Order: sequence, then structure tokens, then C-alpha cells
Amino acid sequence: MPREINIDRIASYTLRTGVLTSVTFIILGVILMFIKGEASGYSISQISNFQDMTINSKLISLSLSGLASGLVHLDGFYFITVGLWVLIFTPISVVVISIITFIAEENPLYLVMAIVVLFNLFFAMLVIPRLM
Amino acid sequence: MSSLLLIAAKFLSIVIGGIFAGVLGSLTGLGGATVLVPLLTLFYGVPIIYATGASLISTIATSAGSASAYTKQKITNIKVGVGLEIATTTGAIVGSLTAVEVYDHHFQWIIYVIFGLVLLMSLVPTVQRGKYEVPQHIKPDWSSRLFQLAGSYYDARLKKKVDYVGVRWWLAESIMFFAGVISGLLGIGSGALKVLGMDWAMNLPMKVTTTTSNFMIGITAATGSSIYWYEGYIQLFLAAAAAIGVLMGSFMGAKILVKITNKDIRWIFFGILSFLGVEMLLKGFITDKIIIISSALEVAISLVAAVVMIGSLYAKNQRGEKHAQGN
Repeated sequence: MPREINIDRIASYTLRTGVLTSVTFIILGVILMFIKGEASGYSISQISNFQDMTINSKLISLSLSGLASGLVHLDGFYFITVGLWVLIFTPISVVVISIITFIAEENPLYLVMAIVVLFNLFFAMLVIPRLM
Repeated sequence: MSSLLLIAAKFLSIVIGGIFAGVLGSLTGLGGATVLVPLLTLFYGVPIIYATGASLISTIATSAGSASAYTKQKITNIKVGVGLEIATTTGAIVGSLTAVEVYDHHFQWIIYVIFGLVLLMSLVPTVQRGKYEVPQHIKPDWSSRLFQLAGSYYDARLKKKVDYVGVRWWLAESIMFFAGVISGLLGIGSGALKVLGMDWAMNLPMKVTTTTSNFMIGITAATGSSIYWYEGYIQLFLAAAAAIGVLMGSFMGAKILVKITNKDIRWIFFGILSFLGVEMLLKGFITDKIIIISSALEVAISLVAAVVMIGSLYAKNQRGEKHAQGN
């Protein structure tokens, strides 16, 4: 029997938690950057120079071990990175929640549509970077 | 030490710019990113690649932040949102890959020009919308039944439950594809196009449209963000400052919005936005040396164009209101 799940409430809670976690990491990263005067070996004056087109997200290793070691070394860049990726994943998690809801509601059409959306998201994240 | 203070001041100035963008974006309903990109490129000297990268990130932050409040009130139609996301996420992939091509060939000026045009064109439906809280009834079509587009919400101001049925799902879906392309190309939420798709094409009530669009913006921006990330369009110092600022600004904007009773104040904000739109357009042409003018003349042209545009829209709107009262 299809069940009614309070999707709105769960979605709302997830979104808020995601944004708060993300902002916490970003602020911690910024504080670390200023205290240490550097991040990932770049001085803060290099980091804050927007005309430099080399110091950007391309430098950051997104592997789990890379992220973990960045966090352990209190590297400000990696704290900001984790914050930004938590932010990117926050709306995605709502799509995942909606998939669970559509399974519970036995709504095959919307289940398929939500899966297509999720596929697009992961296609952009995992497949396209490899092709470029 | 003094250089560290200077850098801290730079960071704070971007946060303040972000707050300004967030407030203005939420007061006009166009979203913080639409204000942030012109602000960063025109006044902070940030390369447009980094400006769009930071703004895409800020878009997710504001969308998620305000959606958490809206979904709780059960106005957002998550079904409609998820269904239309098929088109916006596909569009966002196409749009951000196009951006990559454009930047690889150093055609930055094209982004300025398209940004200016999109900003100016988004103003027209945004200015004119909001005449009816609840749309006139349209007979449900096949897509209403197949895609289960009926819904309801409790309207606190009208003090009643509003039932609605969406129509023309396929039309909304095609508009959403363009909304996604624009979002990926320019690093904005393109909420104006999303609202157009749901308000005009699907005939959904304004409250459902705006909250659902806001919910969708985060998912669309997340798709583009990952491509921006791998291409190195995210400058961490800038993105961190902008995201914090825009997030704060949009919360403040939402609070101010409730308190504004005089609708005419909105016209000042529309004026600022159209000024930014014309400036972006001119900046694009100047960057490519299609036109050569001094920066003073550039500002003067933008000012005049903005005043003319908003003035005529204002006059048209006043006439429309008089006409409505006459009936």
C-alpha cells in the first residue's frame, strides 16, 4: 500500500543542515587561511589575487585521501572545498529523498524522472570531467 | 601585517558586495547571482570566469537556504520541480560546456553581452508579474493527468486553501531547458525563466511558481558547479566570501521584503538592475573593441538607457493599473 511520507519536512531539514554545515566549513577555512597566512603552499596575497588564473579549484585534489590529508593538515583551501562540496550536494540530497518518497508512494513515473535527474547530476560530476 | 589587514578588508568588501547582491536579488525576485556577476566584474575587477563561478556557488547557497523555509510551508510542489529538473539539468550541462568552449577561445565578451541581454529581458516579466495571486482556471489537459499536476496549498494572506491544476507540461519542459542553458552559461539561477515556464506555460499560482523555482535553482546550479569546479572557474577566496555575503543578504532581503508596503520602491531596484544590464552589454562590446568609448560615456549611456527603460515600463504598468481599476 502506498504510504504518505512528509517529504516537505525532511527536505526542509536536510537543506538547512546542509547549508549550515557548509557555511561552518567555509568560515573555518577562511579563518585558517588568515591565521596561517597561506593555504596549500600559496601565500594569502597570491590567494587573494583574482588576476592570477592559476590558483583556483583546479589545484584541489578531490580524492578522499587528498581531502582527508588536507583537513588533517588544517589547510584552509580544503576546509573551503569541503564546505563548497557539501553545498553542491545539499540540493542533490533532496533529489535522493524524493526518490525514496516516490518508491514509498509507488509512483513509477516520478521515480523514473527523479532517477533521470540524479543521472544528469552524476553525469556532470563524474563522466564529463573525464571526457574533458 | 598591514598587507594581511588589507587582504582581510578585501575579503570583507566582497562579503559586503555579496550582501548587497543578495538583498537586491531577493527584493527584485531575480536572485543574488544576477546582481553579483555585474557587481564583481564591473566594480571589483574580477575576471568574468571567476565571477560566474562564485555566483553559481552563491546561487546554491541562497536556493537551499530559502527553500528550507518554503518547503516546510508545503507550498513548493516537489513533483513539478523534479519533473522539470530533467530539462534544467540537461540544459545546465549544455550551458556549462558551452561556457567552457567560449572561455577556451577567449570569447569573454560574448558572455558579457548575453548576460546583459538576459538581465534586461528578465526584468520585463519580473516587473509585470504578480498581478494575480491565483491564476484563472484553464481546463486540465492530458499532461495534467499523466504528470499528476494537481496540488493545493494554504495561502496565509487569502486565508484559504488554494487548489490548482498545472497544464502544458511539455511547454514548461522546453522553457526549462533554456533556463538550464542560461544557468550553466552565465552562472546564475535564471529564476525569471523558470517562473515564466511555470507561471505562463503551466498556469500555476505565483506562490507555487516562485517557491518551486527557488527549489529547482539549487539543483540546476549544482549540475553546472561541478563542471565549473573541474575547469578551475571557482576561485576559493572569492567563492567563500561571495557565498557568505549573498546568503546573508538574501535572508536580510526576505525580511525587508515583508516590511515594504510601498510597491513603488521596487522601481528603484529595477532601475539599478537595468543600469547593470546595460553596463554589462556595453562592457562586452568594449572588451572586444566593437565600440570604443570612454568609461564616463559608458556610465552616462547606461544611466540614460536604464532611466528610459524603467520609465517606460513604469508608465506602462501605471496605465495597466488604471485600466484595471476602470473596469
